Amino acid sequence: MTMVELKNVSRVYLGQSGPVYGLSAFDLRIAEGEFVCIVGPSGCGKTTLLNIVAGFEPPDLGEVLIDGEKITGPGTNRFVMFQEHALFPWLNVSQNIMFGLKMAGIHKREREERAAALLRTVNLSDFSTAWIHELSGGMKQRVALARALIMDPEILLMDEPFAALDSQTRDTLHEEVELVWQRTKKTILFVTHNVREAVRLGTRVILMTAKGGKILREYPIDLPRNRYLEDVEVVKIASQIRDDLRHEVLRATKEEGYHAD
Amino acid sequence: MPIEQEEQSDIAKVRFFAQGYHVWRGRAARLGFFALLIAIWQVAASLELWNEVIFPHPKEVADAVVLGMRDGTLPLAIQASMQRLCMGYGISLLIGIPLGLLLGRKRLLDDTVGSLAVGLQALPSICWLPMAVLWFGLSETAMQFVIIMGSLMSITLSVRDGVKTIPTLYLRAASILGATGWRFYWYVLLPASLPAIITGAKLGWSFAWRSLMAAELLYVTSGIGSTLMMGRELHDMALVVAAMILIITIGLLTDRLIFRFVESLIHRRWGFGGRG
Ligand SMILES: Nc1ncnc2c1ncn2[C@@H]1O[C@H](COP(=O)(O)OP(=O)(O)OP(=O)(O)O)[C@@H](O)[C@H]1O
Ligand SMILES: [Mg+2]
Repeated sequence: MTMVELKNVSRVYLGQSGPVYGLSAFDLRIAEGEFVCIVGPSGCGKTTLLNIVAGFEPPDLGEVLIDGEKITGPGTNRFVMFQEHALFPWLNVSQNIMFGLKMAGIHKREREERAAALLRTVNLSDFSTAWIHELSGGMKQRVALARALIMDPEILLMDEPFAALDSQTRDTLHEEVELVWQRTKKTILFVTHNVREAVRLGTRVILMTAKGGKILREYPIDLPRNRYLEDVEVVKIASQIRDDLRHEVLRATKEEGYHAD
Repeated sequence: MPIEQEEQSDIAKVRFFAQGYHVWRGRAARLGFFALLIAIWQVAASLELWNEVIFPHPKEVADAVVLGMRDGTLPLAIQASMQRLCMGYGISLLIGIPLGLLLGRKRLLDDTVGSLAVGLQALPSICWLPMAVLWFGLSETAMQFVIIMGSLMSITLSVRDGVKTIPTLYLRAASILGATGWRFYWYVLLPASLPAIITGAKLGWSFAWRSLMAAELLYVTSGIGSTLMMGRELHDMALVVAAMILIITIGLLTDRLIFRFVESLIHRRWGFGGRG
């Protein structure tokens, strides 16, 4: 059964330097419980894709269906971990994590229990009363992850959530995301620059074109789960994708050169 | 290990005292500065550079203050002014903050009511006094009306501008966290625009204070403004200066005691700017 379906979605930005296609005639079907990773050069439209699935921006053409129903805006069945943390500065760490539950009218006792458990998961128990500006970049991302997980959405949209982390913390959080995904079979759409991270986590990796907002290639990842970034198989597939990515960037740069002439 | 911990707590102590030192140095500097101003005034006055009728001796002003405090006229005047101010300014805050939040969100409302507010802000509030007196007589209501017209627009517009500059990211986060309807206004929009609300409240306070003084100078028979006017009529320059100093003192105290306090709370959370 298809959970998320993008049909012929286009999104154009009329920027200062002329029109830019965030996405064009973009088709994508994601089945329930899939873990789809999006990779592509910077500025290729990855964040645009997430914004449109989240419902923050309407597509100029085409439509996005969730469980067969057309979306008209953001909803609590989809949660986004933004590229920048987007935590509220007027709340402390645990208040930020509990915010969604509070909006859902969940009792204070339960909110606090669940937040405490998640704080342990992301290893920030000592900072539960800290203000957001007192945290490092990686700590903020971990709070954002806890805030996303506590919402328990059907669909999790993640925009380079672990880019700012050291490799140890990232490994731990990979394991955490893996665990959550295996346990709850959430549908996850995960954007990353890191090709190996994509192969380690995804059931499918999608490589986007450098420009024009299209899919260049798809790679089903059929390796057994609980992979590691260092697994030989992971590295092998990743280096193939990275080659394709490099060619794509080169091709795009050349094309730009022609245009410039 | 224990040595390391001790060292750490020592560092924390040093930082703590350093912070305290900055606070006290600031206070001492302020006090010293004002003492110096008074000293210069004292010296200049005793050199008799000018006629005492034009500008009084510090001692006379001090006497006027002490006398006014003793016979109860100054406390009464302060009370009358502060009562008017608190009522009028309070109403301005109560209307201005929610209105500003709404204007920041609802385009149509901003295009209509918002433009009206911008227009009205150009009108010095004392211009409302003749009309207010016509409508309400020489009453407290007339005073409060002038205060409200003086402060409401600046509060509303500051809050509106604050709402408009809230990062999109927060609004998006709010929508997926399920903050909708009144919850969105109360739990997201209000706290997110708190820095702007404080700016608006400060601005509104100074406008309210000015409006009140202007109104009291012109029409009313109680309050600090009319004390000042009374001094002029009696050719009692000491009283005039005493009233002026009182007005300045109240302004400074409000800034220090209320606004600085709220600002420091916000700075702690947001982590920007701040003093010391
Ligand atoms: N609000 C906007 N106005 C104008 N152009 C925009 C806007 N948002 C995105 N774009 C353009 O759309 C294209 C895709 O942007 P997007 O943010 O989706 O890239 P991305 O793949 O997420 O990049 P990165 O990996 O650097 O985060 C870019 O070329 C960008 O310049
Ligand atoms: Mg992006």
